Amino acid sequence: MKLSRRDTIIAAGGAAVVVAAGVGGRFLLRKRHGPTPYDDLLALLTDRDAAAQIGEAVLAEVEDFDPKTMADDLRTRIGKRPLPAVLAEDADRGRVVEAGGWVLPETLGLLFALAAKAET
Amino acid sequence: MGAFIDARNVPSGTVIQADLAIAGGGPVGISMALALANSPLKVVLLESGGMTFDAKTQALYEGSKIGAPYLTLEATRLRFLGGSSNHWGGWCRPMDQIDFEERTWMPYSGWPFGKKEVDRYFVKAHSLCEGGTLLYDKAGQFTTALGNELALGDGGVTTRWFQFSKTRDSNLPTHFGDRYAEDLKRIGKLSVYLHANATRIGLDASGAKVEEIDVATLSGRKFKVKPKAAVLAMGAIEVARLMLASNDVATAGAGNAHDLVGRFFADHPTPRDAAFLVLFDGKLAPFYQGNQTVRGAIVRAGLFPSEAFRRSHAVMASSITIENKVDLDDFGKATVAETANALGVDASNHAAFSLGAGMEVTPDPDRRITLDSETDALGMPRAKLHMRIADSDFSQFRQTLKELGRQLLEARIGMLKLNLRSRQEWLDVIDWGNHHMGTTRMHADPRKGVVDANLKVHGLANLYVAGSSVYPTYGAANPTVNLLSLALRLADHLKGTLR
Repeated sequence: MKLSRRDTIIAAGGAAVVVAAGVGGRFLLRKRHGPTPYDDLLALLTDRDAAAQIGEAVLAEVEDFDPKTMADDLRTRIGKRPLPAVLAEDADRGRVVEAGGWVLPETLGLLFALAAKAET
Repeated sequence: MGAFIDARNVPSGTVIQADLAIAGGGPVGISMALALANSPLKVVLLESGGMTFDAKTQALYEGSKIGAPYLTLEATRLRFLGGSSNHWGGWCRPMDQIDFEERTWMPYSGWPFGKKEVDRYFVKAHSLCEGGTLLYDKAGQFTTALGNELALGDGGVTTRWFQFSKTRDSNLPTHFGDRYAEDLKRIGKLSVYLHANATRIGLDASGAKVEEIDVATLSGRKFKVKPKAAVLAMGAIEVARLMLASNDVATAGAGNAHDLVGRFFADHPTPRDAAFLVLFDGKLAPFYQGNQTVRGAIVRAGLFPSEAFRRSHAVMASSITIENKVDLDDFGKATVAETANALGVDASNHAAFSLGAGMEVTPDPDRRITLDSETDALGMPRAKLHMRIADSDFSQFRQTLKELGRQLLEARIGMLKLNLRSRQEWLDVIDWGNHHMGTTRMHADPRKGVVDANLKVHGLANLYVAGSSVYPTYGAANPTVNLLSLALRLADHLKGTLR
């Protein structure tokens, strides 16, 4: 069978769409997060959805969690330091929280909790 | 030559004279007999069983229990020569100095002497357990070729080491009966009576001295031993049962003027999978998960709260062992991935392990042995265990586990999941070490203890108790090697007093 130039262009275009969908599908299908007043903090986390799930477990342990106040506290605590240094300091000073039994550095647990609040 | 005598062949009505009668042919009774080998004392050792397991003899252990979940009483001990060393795991570790101290935050704590007093006998006790080269916490110096100790952050939990009784045929540690039977037979002034059950401690009319011990066999023979002194070495349940049942002269039982005999029963809870430990790089040295032979010693590493941490955080002793690899659920995997990312470390090869444990419990006078209305085949009242465990026992151990989790994070090498929180969750997975302790606790004050610092029963001139029933507090170290130290110390004391 001999393909016309028009058929070839249509086939190539279709293939491009399939490849694009495969490569970009995950991005296209990823849950979109609306803007929050603490996106600067949530940007420290690698997976917002996973963080939010863990954060729900943290919230079960923390009383009176006000996201805005907590975000301000966390900005002060973290400052311009790298997050790993802040978390190591938490552990060194005994500041840990639990999430479903997992022992976490307090700052990380609270960031997770912020992520959970951002979903609600 | 000494003799092994089948008590079933001793005519009823026989009276045996002795300098010392030891009731119980387990590790304590055997070790004391061996320690007295070169003394001039004529010693009689009474063992309920024979040389091997017998179901009818074992059934003498049967009793009832109420309260917190516990094992059936007859399943926790073995009743033939060698006693419960016939099924022990061989785990050995010395107690810590803090275990002997009075602690304001721990009720009823404080031994009448310090660790140094038993340390004098520890090497010999370790030798009787055939523990090999004395390494314990020095073992880490000789295991670097196998891997590194966990580089935990500074804090309350550290790697320390168990040693093990000599392993035979792959899995059998020292069985004191088999191992030392021939040595016992070589002791000229020792007579070992097998199938001989002590059924009554007979006090003189004043109630201040042991005059005789009634002995019975399951075949119906009954005879007496009249010793200058007697040592009860039958385990914490049976010692209490015999003392309480010996109530013909002292109506509350022998040595029980202050209602303490049988109280403060204790064991080491061993909850399964109390936590999961995750190592981000997945690498765990083999000496944490299993025994390794190093320089003539069989060793295994565990994780223990330091004495400083126990003091500063008011927590009891515990031991933590790393057990099996486990698969985390999706939530766990996500938590590990997110935490490692945030800490700036790679966890793509992480591995998770379940943790085993041995916990100390708070001394509790209402966790106790009493006499049941049922009687055994010899006509003795059976034991009844009132089992209890405090919520604070669980929460203190949980605090130690949480500290370990904090140290893993501080070092950025891993993390920890606490699996148990509510009382019911703990009780659902609880098991026990079969380490019976406490029922004849030691204290200088007769109102606070059954035996004094020399293990002599208060108010009785010539009755002693040996074994972990004399522990006022319990630590988390496996008791055998430590109670042998106490037994050897008692043997020394008796050499002096019975001359």
